[in-house]
Amino acid sequence: MARREITFMKATLEALSEEMAKNPAIFVLGEGVGKRGGNFGTTTGLYDLYGPERLCDTPICERGFIGLCAGAAMTGTRPVVDFMFSDFILDAVGEIANQIAKIQYMSNGRLKMPVLLRGSIGIGHSSATHHSGSYYSMYAHFPGLRVAVPSTPYDAKGLLKRALNCDDPVLFLEHKSLLAAKGPVPEEEYQIEFGKASVKREGGEVTVVAIALMVQHALKAADRLASEGVSVEILDPRTVSPLDTEAILKSVRKTGRLLIVDESFAPCGIGAEIAARIAADGFDDLDAPIRRLNGLHAPTPYSPPLEAAVIPNPETIAAEIRRLLEE
Amino acid sequence: MAHEIKVPRLGWTMEEGTFLEWLKRDGDPVKPGEPLFILETDKATQEVEAVEGGLLRISPSGPKAGDTVAVGAVLGWLLAPGEAPPVKPPAEKAGEPPRRPEGAAVEEREPLRALPAAGAQLPAISPRAARRAAELGIDWTRLQGTGRGGRIRERDILAAGAAAPLSGTRKAIAERMVRSAQSTVPVTLAAHVDATNLVRRREELKASWSAGRAPSRHDHIVKLAARALKDHPALNARWSGEGLAPSKEIHIGIAVDTARGLLVPVIRDVPELGLQELAERSGGLIERARAGKLTAWEMQGGTFTVTSLGGLGIDVFTPVINHPEVAILGVGRIQGQAAVLGGAVKPREMMWLSLTFDHRAVDGAPAARFLDTLRRLIEAPEEILKEVLS
Repeated sequence: MARREITFMKATLEALSEEMAKNPAIFVLGEGVGKRGGNFGTTTGLYDLYGPERLCDTPICERGFIGLCAGAAMTGTRPVVDFMFSDFILDAVGEIANQIAKIQYMSNGRLKMPVLLRGSIGIGHSSATHHSGSYYSMYAHFPGLRVAVPSTPYDAKGLLKRALNCDDPVLFLEHKSLLAAKGPVPEEEYQIEFGKASVKREGGEVTVVAIALMVQHALKAADRLASEGVSVEILDPRTVSPLDTEAILKSVRKTGRLLIVDESFAPCGIGAEIAARIAADGFDDLDAPIRRLNGLHAPTPYSPPLEAAVIPNPETIAAEIRRLLEE
Repeated sequence: MAHEIKVPRLGWTMEEGTFLEWLKRDGDPVKPGEPLFILETDKATQEVEAVEGGLLRISPSGPKAGDTVAVGAVLGWLLAPGEAPPVKPPAEKAGEPPRRPEGAAVEEREPLRALPAAGAQLPAISPRAARRAAELGIDWTRLQGTGRGGRIRERDILAAGAAAPLSGTRKAIAERMVRSAQSTVPVTLAAHVDATNLVRRREELKASWSAGRAPSRHDHIVKLAARALKDHPALNARWSGEGLAPSKEIHIGIAVDTARGLLVPVIRDVPELGLQELAERSGGLIERARAGKLTAWEMQGGTFTVTSLGGLGIDVFTPVINHPEVAILGVGRIQGQAAVLGGAVKPREMMWLSLTFDHRAVDGAPAARFLDTLRRLIEAPEEILKEVLS
């Protein structure tokens, strides 16, 4: 059978639609999710299939509707909150960190919190600083949340399906520049477990852990380096919480070198967390210092040339790998 | 912790002796009780044993053979791997016997004294390289690293190991051979092969070759062996902690004889390589092996090994399996011989192949089938050979 290729967006739409068909307790809530079909096409066609009760348009009041969803989830439904931009999830963080992440613990497990929170992340469309954030590091900091950052249509569908079948709150963060990317997605049912990294390319001299769009950039960098005789292994953690430390350790045991490529800010970021874990448990495997390549620690500019300058790209990643090999 | 090696008092009245020779070399690992050096007194010549263990560092200001040495003089140190020798001699100056209280009993032997670690300038070393140095028993404190700012990397240790056969490469080879001997059940099969077509094909190729190194006979055989392994995957496997793991990839190690000892760099994904590409890869690996410049990666991950002693006039031998692989092919000399072909005696280029396999992993018949497939490939008519060796 020919491998079917669909876009990232189509893959998540399929996942959501299939699960909504199976489970009447799932409903979607957010700005423009109804007839409009979602700002990024996340709910295209679902309004016609499942009606206004399950695709609820809201006013601009994140803190309000996140609270509604927390309550709804406690009563046994499965809310999917579509924030459009992950930047807007920030307006709901009080409820997320203080209630959604804690309620299962506070109720001794009697209350479940199957809430799916989704929003786009990433720089690259002249969306300026209020629409370009990634923030997964911040959510990975809180116990009780699961944070998915897929880089391929296949992973996106499998992780979204998993999210809609688990009782924990999940942040599902989709990179804007990946939404139109195509990739193979089987017709068959499948789910991807949280906390399982994926080796996107096997290699022997340096391990690159990359997140979301950076996985695709790193793959391009690795292709270029392969022609120079450099063998790069690329790991995509797929979820930053839980984080598959063991997979990274295993790779570093082989290569002795680790570069973390993360578009979001470096300070206190997921790259720092990965570096700390590998330094602690993989110290003797390291043949060079662990390095990070991040977006600049600055508000995101609007100007396209400046925007391109603040985040890693295949050239800067390749250059950083070459530097690491010199260490 | 650094332990001083001092001239011991070998008799009640001994004040000095004659230093004859070291029994260990600078940088050698020394175990307690091993003879360290020979000292001559007016009564006897005696081997002096090490009281402590460590890596021997001979003092640069120490005695030469035949020098008179005073009791208590510091001859050198026994160091932990990676430890620097103390910069300064201890409080008592070397060459001066330690003072002892008047009338106090003198011990037969001066105890070796530990020194506080000195703040000597050591080169920086990566944790991975330090671990590798400890495994290979290599003293890295005087190495020049190739990393940033002179940091010692794993490849520097491996290069140093190659440069110091006894303490490095030789020891590594010894350990690997023992591991193979102890953990495999080797059986060797030999096959007599008609390599006339292969030799002819190679000569043609060589004549038409314009730039670079033309593929060698060995390259041809590596390529054909990879082709045969595709049909006999049982021989293309590695033992791991969990057991026997057949490998999807075919990475072939090639045994290279270097001035520092045997090295086995690995040509990865042989089926994916054209013959020319394979020749370039193997040429580069052999060159780097001889220069001691192979990286750790280039020496890891093999799934099968090809070794050749044909160039040294050997026909048949029993190669040692490169554990954790499960088989190794030994290539013998190619020699013109009278062979019976179609009822007539004809001159043919004949060669022996020796295949050692691990009987734990593979039985005799499948191993023989692999060798037979390889023999048929080598003996294949030129058109077929050309296709396989494209």
